[in-house]
Amino acid sequence: MKKFKLRRILIERGAEDDTLAKKMLKGLPDIPREAVEPDDLAQREDIEGMDKETLRIIHFNGEFLKPCPGTRGYICCGYQILNIGINCPMECSYCFLQSYINQPSLRLFTNLEDRLNVIGKIIDSSPDRIFRIGTGEFTDSLCLDYLTGWTDLLLPFFSRRRNCVLELKTKSASIEFLIKSSYRKGIVIAWSLNTPRIIANEEQGTADLKSRILAARECQKAGFVLGFHFDPLIHYPGWAEDSEETVGLLERYIDPGYIVWMSVGSFRYVPDLKWTVKRRFPGTDIFDGEFVPGLDGKFRYFKPIRVEMYTKLSERLRKWYDDLGLYLCMESDDVWTQSLGWSPRNSTNLTNYLDNRARKLMAN
Amino acid sequence: MVEKTLKCTSLKVDISDVDLKPGPFTMSFNFNLEPLKASIDKFGVLNPPYLLKNSDSTFSVVAGYRRLLAARELGWPDIYCQIVPDTFPPLKALLLNLNDNLIHRQLNNIEKGMILKRLTRFLKEEEIVSDFVPTLGIPANKPTLRLFLALEELEESIRISVARERLSLRVAGLMLGIGRDDRLRINDLFTSLKFSFSRQWEITQWIMEIAKREGLSISEVIDKGDIIEILNNDRINNPQKVKLIVEILKSKRFPSLLEAERLFRQGLSNLRLPSGVKIIPPPFFEGIDYRLEIVFTKGEGLKEILAGLSHLSGLERVTDFWKGIGHR
Repeated sequence: MKKFKLRRILIERGAEDDTLAKKMLKGLPDIPREAVEPDDLAQREDIEGMDKETLRIIHFNGEFLKPCPGTRGYICCGYQILNIGINCPMECSYCFLQSYINQPSLRLFTNLEDRLNVIGKIIDSSPDRIFRIGTGEFTDSLCLDYLTGWTDLLLPFFSRRRNCVLELKTKSASIEFLIKSSYRKGIVIAWSLNTPRIIANEEQGTADLKSRILAARECQKAGFVLGFHFDPLIHYPGWAEDSEETVGLLERYIDPGYIVWMSVGSFRYVPDLKWTVKRRFPGTDIFDGEFVPGLDGKFRYFKPIRVEMYTKLSERLRKWYDDLGLYLCMESDDVWTQSLGWSPRNSTNLTNYLDNRARKLMAN
Repeated sequence: MVEKTLKCTSLKVDISDVDLKPGPFTMSFNFNLEPLKASIDKFGVLNPPYLLKNSDSTFSVVAGYRRLLAARELGWPDIYCQIVPDTFPPLKALLLNLNDNLIHRQLNNIEKGMILKRLTRFLKEEEIVSDFVPTLGIPANKPTLRLFLALEELEESIRISVARERLSLRVAGLMLGIGRDDRLRINDLFTSLKFSFSRQWEITQWIMEIAKREGLSISEVIDKGDIIEILNNDRINNPQKVKLIVEILKSKRFPSLLEAERLFRQGLSNLRLPSGVKIIPPPFFEGIDYRLEIVFTKGEGLKEILAGLSHLSGLERVTDFWKGIGHR
């Protein structure tokens, strides 16, 4: 199991008595710690480094469950984000958090357990609605599990509910604790995938492709349903051949019948991100492609390039198995139709499509 | 009450005794001495320079560097100066000169960088950002401070371009990340032709990205046949050269987009739209809404145009003209 380097712990006043805080501190006896006030924040210009070796333990007073904000002008999937912390010890050059976060350090919310009741009430009060919830939006769902024990806390809570699916999305192979859990129902373990070249060059600190797929296989063998996310696709000469390697490994090790969904999305970024990334990762190749401003102000590959990438990859994936629950992340109706041959037309229909897949999963 | 009057000694100093190399308190770069010389020649030195006496009996300039240079060039053997006390702290000397400069002239960006750099000898970054950066009219943050501090690393010709506002400060910042020859080549390109600052920014990025993608140096991208041909073409004027160079670089940076634009234009031209009719695609072909623009003077004319359009063969495929393009 990979453990990440930490050089100090900041404990915000109010968090010291949280159960999760105590558990984490107990597991890190040798790391220097310091008490800080919640309003003792970093200066704007000190944020760029992200300070991933500082763990900040926070009693979070904001909302833990929030709908994914989606993006203007494109079809979104109606996902709910369970906000368990912000920032991630891995270093993906393309990570949107670099221009999103307004404070550095690994910020983990230690009152999660106390707030689960509120989340439970929200879910239980809409029994006919399906909640597809994920923790992998602002951090990696599993790579810090050795420290936080998130799976111990979250799996029993979500698994016993009839109208929600918890998706744990990761680029790690940290499944040791997860596998020991006895909860399976309503739990999806998902991996972000890319080509071996992108993983090696642009995803520092993550597990390599084969380790991810072998971890997925172990989870599948242990009875978990899987999800995969080919996002962000990055266009470079030879990307299609390299993708073949990724799909080939899936084909070799994974039973496609127990995959609930598979998303495909291409690299997109807010204008500011480019300069932060270029400063932090001077050798990166991710901006080499032809990017144009999208309808939401983010830069995206010129549409024919996106269509070509989605078409090639989806054709290859369908050749493997034709019921993978393929969907496009943040794309327009015409791109859907040109790439996958069908379109949900709008976000509501895509939400329904994925909810139905989730229902099927829970019925089994 | 705090004593704020500076107690100096007035002294006639031989100009040859003054060290006139840019010293630790000077903040002048790329200036034209002629107007000052003309003024001094006519009216004399209205404000005496301030000097600090060195242990070897020479003098260092605290304020009035340009006045001293002008007087020397006018052939003056000596000049009345104010001599600051030996114990005058260096930071105070620097601030004296800064205030002297701020009240009577605009500082260029290189000079602002010189001042900030000199301040770093005495003060922490935070203090400089909060107390001095705003005084110079610069956004008060550390990245901007660091950009100004780094300007000194650039070659003199580039610093002159920045000081004369022929090269954008942002582009100069971008140049810090590339090699000497490459940034000199970009500077040459931008100063030989007049590119707006926003164009400079856009083009510098394109050149750097093309170079990286194609494994070339920046100079190689600029010196490739087609751009050099334009630069050397005497039959076109500078604005035309700028336009052509932008087009060449854009087609290299965005080959698929440019091909789509070309196909769309070609499709429209084959359609033979009535005069006064334009069809405008969505920006970058990203959206799906196209616009039809009709210029008309009378309703009858409009009806005729609309009738003509409704029978125009091929119009139904207008949104497909650019599709199916190949790309690299």
